[in-house]
Amino acid sequence: MQQRTATRPVYLNLLLIRQPIGAIVSILHRITGAFLALLTPFALWALQASLESAPRFEQVRAMLSGGLGRAAVLLAVWLLVQHLYSGVRHLLIDIDVGVELHSARRSAWSTIIASVITVVLLGVWL
Amino acid sequence: MMRARPLGSIHRGVAGFLVQRISSLYLAGFTIYLIGYLILRPVRDYGAWSAYFSSGAVRLAWGIFFASLLAHVWLGLRSIYMDYLHPTWLRFTVSLVTAFILIALAFWAAQILIRGVA
Repeated sequence: MQQRTATRPVYLNLLLIRQPIGAIVSILHRITGAFLALLTPFALWALQASLESAPRFEQVRAMLSGGLGRAAVLLAVWLLVQHLYSGVRHLLIDIDVGVELHSARRSAWSTIIASVITVVLLGVWL
Repeated sequence: MMRARPLGSIHRGVAGFLVQRISSLYLAGFTIYLIGYLILRPVRDYGAWSAYFSSGAVRLAWGIFFASLLAHVWLGLRSIYMDYLHPTWLRFTVSLVTAFILIALAFWAAQILIRGVA
């Protein structure tokens, strides 16, 4: 008799389960939150340097408006607005707004679409 | 199976839950205020930037922002640690290091905001 147990799929493996959009936005909320936490020291450094003196201010501005700096700023903005929008969605769900499956799925998609639109708009403006 | 509950109040999680949500409201409001302010009144030079920061109300709003931010970061990272770091020694060590870093960041933020107040 063949040993089949070894090849049986284990459906508790998160990478094998096809995740619904609500789960993707939920994990996105955590990932963006963790990265934003890691960015905090850099934000503090930039704030301190920008307030120190005029030359330091210009130095920070040049760093943030150069090619790489601009890309980093836009990435940080995306992390921030995605976390903000999915956070607002979670707060609304906390108070029982949009808990039905249909509206929960629609709002999950909306956070992703809205965050991308926001980054594009701010990218044009910056 | 029933297991003995570890020591500590059963209501402690409620405080964390509320602090996480209430801080998120301030963070959301402050973020929208800041982005709106920067769009309406772009910072042209160091003079404008330091004049903005010389206001006591601005420093207070930023101070509350950093306090909310660090509390929010602590609760968010704690949730991640509780879900993914299972060995107690690992969760304890990572939590301790995180707590020290967040306290250091709090002192740093306070120093930035207090310095230069005439």
